[in-house]
Amino acid sequence: MNVKLLYQNKDWSPVRPYQDWQGIIKDLGLKTLFEAANQDSVVRTSRVVYSQHEDVFLGQAVRRVMGVPLETKEEVLYRHEIMRDCFRHEDFVGKLYVAASRILADWEKLGKKKNHTGVRDTKAELITDIRVLRLFVNGMEEIKSLMLENLDGLSSRGFLKLHERINEEFSQEAKTNLEKILGDLAFYVDTNVQKAQRGVYTMNVPRIQMDVGLLDGLKFTDLKLENVETKTENYSNPYGIKAKLQGQIGSISPNVIALYKNTALQEDAANLEYQAVNFVMTCCGGVLQSFGYFFEQLRFQIGFYLGVINIKNQMKRSGMEFCFPEASARGELQYDDLKEVVMGMEQGIKPVGNEGKLDGVLLTVITGANQGGKSTFLRSVGIAQVMLQSGMMVCAKHFRSGLYPGFFTHFTRREDSAMNSGRLDEELRRMDKIVSCLDDRSLLLLNESFATTTEKEGSAIAYDIVKALKEEGVRILTVTHLTSFAQRIYEESDGGKAGDVAFFSAERLEDGSRTFKMIPHAPEQTSFGLELYAEIMGK
Amino acid sequence: MVSILYKQEKSGNGEKAGQTERPAFFQDLNLDQILDKIEEDWGREVRELYECLPPDRETEDYRRAVFAEFKTGKLLPKLLRFLELLKQWGVYRERGEKETDPASRHVWFIREAWCYASALEGLRASLEKQRLQSEGLLALLKFLGECTARKDYQEFRRNLGSLWEELSSFRVKLIFEKDRFTLEEGTGKGAYGEFLAECFPEHAAAFKSPFQAVEELSDLESEAARIFQRRHKEFFQTAQEFYKRRGAYQEAGIFSLQREIAFYASYLKFQNRMEENGFCFCTPTVTKNGKRLEAKGLYDLALALVCMEEGREVVDNDILLKEDERFFVLTGPNQGGKTTFARSLGQLIYFTKMGLDVPARAAVVPYYTGIMTHFSVEESAETGKGKLMEELSRLKPMMEAGREGAFVVINELFTTAANYDACIMGRKVLEAFMERDCRGIYVTHLRELAKECPGVTALRALVDERQVQTYRIARAKGEESAGAVRQAEKYHLTYEQIKERFS
Repeated sequence: MNVKLLYQNKDWSPVRPYQDWQGIIKDLGLKTLFEAANQDSVVRTSRVVYSQHEDVFLGQAVRRVMGVPLETKEEVLYRHEIMRDCFRHEDFVGKLYVAASRILADWEKLGKKKNHTGVRDTKAELITDIRVLRLFVNGMEEIKSLMLENLDGLSSRGFLKLHERINEEFSQEAKTNLEKILGDLAFYVDTNVQKAQRGVYTMNVPRIQMDVGLLDGLKFTDLKLENVETKTENYSNPYGIKAKLQGQIGSISPNVIALYKNTALQEDAANLEYQAVNFVMTCCGGVLQSFGYFFEQLRFQIGFYLGVINIKNQMKRSGMEFCFPEASARGELQYDDLKEVVMGMEQGIKPVGNEGKLDGVLLTVITGANQGGKSTFLRSVGIAQVMLQSGMMVCAKHFRSGLYPGFFTHFTRREDSAMNSGRLDEELRRMDKIVSCLDDRSLLLLNESFATTTEKEGSAIAYDIVKALKEEGVRILTVTHLTSFAQRIYEESDGGKAGDVAFFSAERLEDGSRTFKMIPHAPEQTSFGLELYAEIMGK
Repeated sequence: MVSILYKQEKSGNGEKAGQTERPAFFQDLNLDQILDKIEEDWGREVRELYECLPPDRETEDYRRAVFAEFKTGKLLPKLLRFLELLKQWGVYRERGEKETDPASRHVWFIREAWCYASALEGLRASLEKQRLQSEGLLALLKFLGECTARKDYQEFRRNLGSLWEELSSFRVKLIFEKDRFTLEEGTGKGAYGEFLAECFPEHAAAFKSPFQAVEELSDLESEAARIFQRRHKEFFQTAQEFYKRRGAYQEAGIFSLQREIAFYASYLKFQNRMEENGFCFCTPTVTKNGKRLEAKGLYDLALALVCMEEGREVVDNDILLKEDERFFVLTGPNQGGKTTFARSLGQLIYFTKMGLDVPARAAVVPYYTGIMTHFSVEESAETGKGKLMEELSRLKPMMEAGREGAFVVINELFTTAANYDACIMGRKVLEAFMERDCRGIYVTHLRELAKECPGVTALRALVDERQVQTYRIARAKGEESAGAVRQAEKYHLTYEQIKERFS
């Protein structure tokens, strides 16, 4: 059974992820988001016993789902609908997640196997399967009633369809049948003598009826199962003489083969019994597999939404507004009060918001003062883009952008900033990998790329790459200190008059102070590093 | 005894006449790879039939007609059924012979006999429905008719019929409760099984008997059998008598037919599987007179087998060897598909001679007396001189008397000899074969051999503008100026690379 809360027509599978998701996480600092997803903000308050303040599964779910970009507007809208439902009913999401988690944990305890349709080798495995089926039937019932209780408040197609599907595939009839089967097989699982009341004991005993052909030299062939059921026998003393005598009494009839004191026959009986139960459970194999898959998908997909709820609540606590972004045609980019959410969460400060409109701009070159917020701005665009492409909210008043399945970041990795050819080599190798994946559905963020070599060489390399890629329709935002590169682009594009190139700079007021806002500005020769030096080191 | 591989009036058939040595071409043409595949499913016995070439033109035609009728009549399922029944016959017979319990043995015997009768009569019935024309199948049908019309068979068949009917209607209800089994008459429908099939239509399973692993009756089964025999005394008595009077009901000829039918069935099945994967086959037109050899869409079947598993495509080629042309001389770059092409040509001749369909879209093939191949033995650790000796010693018997009119595939001769010597020797070899009225193909590095001379047609393995092999073979048109072309292509290559990168 499918869950389909992430996509309208399919379940989760990691197809077509970002080519370098690890790199994106690193460059944009997304780890902070995943950590926020782990921080429980819902379940605790819903007074469910199962509660952990931190659940790393949630962060992992968010991380994995975010790593696979949505490719159409429709897909984004589908998730937004569900996300809105989730935000309105956090408690319900929490309960659903807890239920699915508990079922899976119980499954683990019973003994989870990877393949449910495979051959069962032992009686123990068969018994496990029956118990798991019992767990799943109860679990489905729980999920079903949870959905029903909350149905009134839900309006997204995802949840409504899920409710329908559960009712279809776990209909009253299906449930009755499964419960009948579980009841019929009870003798195989519940073998203990039970005390029904004072002096009366009950025990489950099997009754299996087969229809058998004898074509193979009187060996049993073409066996058909006529009936299997569990009978309850009452005893005043199950270990007493009455119970023991039963086998002998039967043997008087010519049509009866009694098992009493005949170990070979008892073994045959055990084999036949095993085969009958195994036959029934093989038929149920599909249900086991389907339900098991359902619970796993449900936990994962609901886990993603719960994780996002946790992120949203964390954003709220930090005082950051969010909106549901708008997916538009590629080439468009508009943002209002766009903030860098990771920095906001990490430092607990409200970051500066940027606004702008870059529709039709293929290449954006950002230059200007050190510590002016250039990289922060670039990251804020990147983070918003990734969040948009995973159907999440965005930390802005308004955000509108195209969808770029080929999203790449190429940031200078600060960890070893030694200026040597090895480093440039690493940058070029990374770039080579990226270039081989680029097409006109790509967005590339460059942050101080090729700053590891001399200005002249770096500019030449950057110019070649950026120019060629732009011609091929790749959308690029680049933060750069390579002034001759920026100047050359500026001159060739006639100051960006054609409209497909834009030049930004970190705003710097008359008195030299920074607002950390990006404003349209021609590239300058200096990045005002000297001023910064003076500011920090004192005059 | 009837045969659908060899014509009756011919006294000695090829198999018995015995080709003392297995021809080398099976290995050279990679036919072994194809036969290995067939052997996997059909066993050594059937493979041996593939390794015997028909002794003459009539036998080839005889087989071709049989194969064509099996194919056009869509008889493969019927043939497979026949073979399956005979296989079961063997299994049941063995089980019955091993069985110590008499009642059980008699039941096995009824099954065994039923398989035999079904095989015989099933095949007869499906052949009767066809409008047979081929000599071979008419003879087969006649034989089957004779077998089933015999008086003793008729009686045997009557008794068998009624016993079988009764036996197959036997079913019992077996009820297991805690401490006992109860056996009741009558049949059920497997109601619980049906309930399950309704609940889980996609996961319907068959009930496996837990006692199947052991051949003899389990304790439970023999207890049940005892109760059952007591109830059906009459049946078991008749069965016993039937068994006692069994005699030798089976016709020996059927079992040699089994193998021959397996030969055709194995190829039909193999061909079907290849066709499902998009590889063409056709029935070659075999010309009575004339020596024109033509094929369209010809490919290497052994290579196709490998490609099919790897999901790759196979390059096919069109060829034409005109009436007055005798030898192809094929040159071209290394790894250009020369050997593959030569092999596919050899395979074309082989399958035509076997009377089977060939791996091509269309083919016209004349009659050749035989197939001879000469491939260089790569692993030879011998010195250059030794290798030349070895090559010549293998070449000599190919030119002996009695090999006239054969099809010859030569792959790289005299590679260890000096160029000048190799050219002269190569020319001599060509002339020698042509004198003996042989046709064939000669793959070589020596361009000099490809120079037009009477009877020789030059072919080249083509490369595209970037000097990459296309595996296509075509008639060579003059000499190309390598230098200028390469320069132009080098320029192209560079451009393409840049284009490719950013598009």
